[in-house]
Amino acid sequence: MTVHLYLSLIPEALIASMLSPEEFGAYYAVGTQKKSRGQALFFEVDPKFRSDFFNVEEGIKRCVPHEDGSPKASIYISVYRVLENVPMNALQKLYLTTQDGRTLGLDKSKSLPGNGTGLHLYREVAPVTPLVVSSFGPKDFYELIVKEPTSLIKLPSVCFAELRLDELAEDPRNGEAGDLPYKNIEHLRSCLTDLQTKTVMTKMVDRTPTSGIPFRTIKNGFFVGNQKKLLHYPLPSEKELVEKYYPWWRSATM
Amino acid sequence: MEDQWLIIGIVSGVISVAAAVYYYFWVMRQDAGSEKAQEVASWIREGAASYLKKLYTALTLVSVVMGFIIAIVFSFDLTMLGTGSVDIEPTRGVIMALSFVAGAVSSAIAGYMGMAIAVQANVRSAVAVRDTLNKGFKVAFYAGSVMGLAMVGLAVIGMCGIFYLTGDPEIVLGFSFGASALALLAKAGGGIYTKTADIAADLVGKVEVGIPEDDPRNPAVVADNVGDNVGDVAGMGADIFDSYVASTVAAMLLGAAMTGPDTLKYTVFPLILCILGIFASLIGIQFVRVGKNGKPGKALNMGTIITCVIFGFFIIALVFLGGYDLSTLWSTLVGLIVGVIVGFTTEYFTSEEYKPVKETARVSGSGAAITIIMGFSYGLLSILPSIVGIVVATMVSFYVSEASGVVSGIYGIGVSAVGMLSISGMIVSSDAYGPIVDNARGIAEMAGMEHSVVEKADVLDSAGNTAKAITKGFSISAAALTVLALFAAYSEIIEARGVSVEISLRNPLVVAGVFLGAMAPPIFSALTMLSVTNNAFDMIEEIRKQFREEPGILAGKVLPDYKTCVALAAQGALTSLVGPAFLAVGLPLLVGFVLGADALGGFLGGAIFTGVIFALLMSNAGGLWDNAKKYIETGQFGGVGSEAHKAGVVGDTVGDPFKDTAGPSLNTLITVMSLVSSLFAPVIAAFHIF
Repeated sequence: MTVHLYLSLIPEALIASMLSPEEFGAYYAVGTQKKSRGQALFFEVDPKFRSDFFNVEEGIKRCVPHEDGSPKASIYISVYRVLENVPMNALQKLYLTTQDGRTLGLDKSKSLPGNGTGLHLYREVAPVTPLVVSSFGPKDFYELIVKEPTSLIKLPSVCFAELRLDELAEDPRNGEAGDLPYKNIEHLRSCLTDLQTKTVMTKMVDRTPTSGIPFRTIKNGFFVGNQKKLLHYPLPSEKELVEKYYPWWRSATM
Repeated sequence: MEDQWLIIGIVSGVISVAAAVYYYFWVMRQDAGSEKAQEVASWIREGAASYLKKLYTALTLVSVVMGFIIAIVFSFDLTMLGTGSVDIEPTRGVIMALSFVAGAVSSAIAGYMGMAIAVQANVRSAVAVRDTLNKGFKVAFYAGSVMGLAMVGLAVIGMCGIFYLTGDPEIVLGFSFGASALALLAKAGGGIYTKTADIAADLVGKVEVGIPEDDPRNPAVVADNVGDNVGDVAGMGADIFDSYVASTVAAMLLGAAMTGPDTLKYTVFPLILCILGIFASLIGIQFVRVGKNGKPGKALNMGTIITCVIFGFFIIALVFLGGYDLSTLWSTLVGLIVGVIVGFTTEYFTSEEYKPVKETARVSGSGAAITIIMGFSYGLLSILPSIVGIVVATMVSFYVSEASGVVSGIYGIGVSAVGMLSISGMIVSSDAYGPIVDNARGIAEMAGMEHSVVEKADVLDSAGNTAKAITKGFSISAAALTVLALFAAYSEIIEARGVSVEISLRNPLVVAGVFLGAMAPPIFSALTMLSVTNNAFDMIEEIRKQFREEPGILAGKVLPDYKTCVALAAQGALTSLVGPAFLAVGLPLLVGFVLGADALGGFLGGAIFTGVIFALLMSNAGGLWDNAKKYIETGQFGGVGSEAHKAGVVGDTVGDPFKDTAGPSLNTLITVMSLVSSLFAPVIAAFHIF
């Protein structure tokens, strides 16, 4: 059986597994006894990837089938500072798994999207998980927190998703919130208004968002980057998700 | 001439049943789809069949026991009681018992036909909608009309046949009581079944495990779909069958109580209205069509309006050509118009196009408590148009009839109720369409049909929900007028035995009766809703057990054991009926035999008033919460996953047993209590403690 390497983002971990990405997603989201559930986000890592920071060989060696012949679901190789120690070119597809175990694979884009206009909402996924608003577009936001920070805070690497703000992006005070499912919309409006009225580029909306990542309000996909490179994993349009990946989309919009 | 009308009635009934059989085979000729779709449909079909088998076994037992009691009680000539000598007429007792059994069996056959075609039409509608929306709609609606036409046909055959053979409307009352006994089992049992499965499926599936609605991995998904059929097809059909027959019989009894040369003419008049209603419905059904870009909801409403207009022309022709008093025309028309208006005002309170649902959805962002408060408040407000409609129909029909000097005012009320229910063929056809398209959507999901099919099935389903809401408003108002007529018939029957009925609030026995009667609907609601929660918990444990013991279910590799959940829902629903059934049949008899005829009159009054109010409140509030949640799911106020949605889900779950278990069953409760009282009125007049 083939041994895969996965970089999980919730929590940050490097895992060897004999399961295919779809099986691993289902296993990771709901477990083998189905007593738990929760979203999973993970990259498939180039199987040739090796690093002095991780004992990958040992992990692969331990990843053997169970006595009954069933595949080994997971061998944790590392659970700390994983993202910053995996080079961007080792990352392959990004997989998004819904709370009940439906998995969608995203390919890397060859180019980065423009910064766009208006204000932005980012949900950081790793290494920390705050909900942040910013007047910077995704590329500038990444540079601000990873490459050229203006504050004392500097992340070695980051993975985040840009979320939809719709009318709030242009008119945070009076714009229609529409179908945005975010908690405490009034606080979000006030944070966005601060970006327009005060000399701040980013503002924390929620330090510890308790709900998962709202897949259905992801604007233009996921961004992952370190000191050297920024990658973009665009999410297909809603129309495409409905037509081609309906079971995943249906589960993601619950 | 009246005998000829009775024969025409039997022929009309046969035509109606024949049309139902024709539509049955038309639907059966449609494409049943892929093997997978057929397999999914077969799960639902088997579940429905197993429930019906249990239900009809219970009904057989009830029919035998009740038939035996009725045969004995009505073998005595009760008018002779107290004179020292009592005549025994075993033939009358046996005829009454047979009439009772015929009522129960007719209602059961209509329900069976409706269910039999619904569980075949669901998959065919899902397959047909793949071609065009109209094709899917046509399959579902024609399948619904099998139930509607079979129901009115069998009812008219039964009533005309019995009256033709016996010439005694009190014997037809036995037929009505038989229909009501089944309706109580079918409606309350179906309501408990459907919500047990629905709530259990949602609480474990959506909340605990996080899988979507109608997901085949959910062990309760088949029971949930079976519940749509047993609750909304068999249950609602039996409920309207019951009201339809009861209103006609009540008007017949009031007609027979009038003196003069035209007594027979006006006794048969309600049956003629039913005959005309059959033909109006048969024609109206032909006009129900969805154009290329048409809307199914509008098509259903248009069908109802056209049927009403046709029926209006028929009744005008009948009154003028048949030489009936003009007051009967006004009474019929006011009943018909008020019925339709009440039906459509129900839509105002439950449709997401109007303020109540939108407002409830809007405030849901602030939490479930305010969702409940607002939905409940609008539910209370929704009583207003229906009650005003009932008052208008009552007053107009009463005073117009009284002023005529030909028929009694109370007879006018009875005719008004028949007018309201005369187009039941069309109403039930629209109503039964709802669960069929609901199932079609579920099958499309479970069989993994393409999303465009699910989307089109959604459009059909949405129209079905509105049709359901309209039918509920309609049936509750009709039941209110029916029981008012039955209430009057009760007094007539008692007074015919030489016992005067004085229902005055200055009489403490009457006051006691009013309080006990007013208590019955809330207690009945509580019993049925507690049954739902208790049974749902048993099913929740079963679903959890299946997920725990077979991990392959959630992985989608192993099919769950659907049959156990189906059996749990069926068993739970039927065993839970003992308490509510005793309340419906036993309590009025207890009050009558202990406190006497006056107190029983007060009891009926109390039960009717709180019953109608509770039925309207619960049905409309439940429908409103359901649609408020659906409105949020369209992307309003944060959409799915928002705080508003979470509150909306709570409101919907609270509303589920309101709108599908307790609320609509209250119609049947008050009709059964009124029928029991009327049927046993002669015995109560003779035997009571106070």
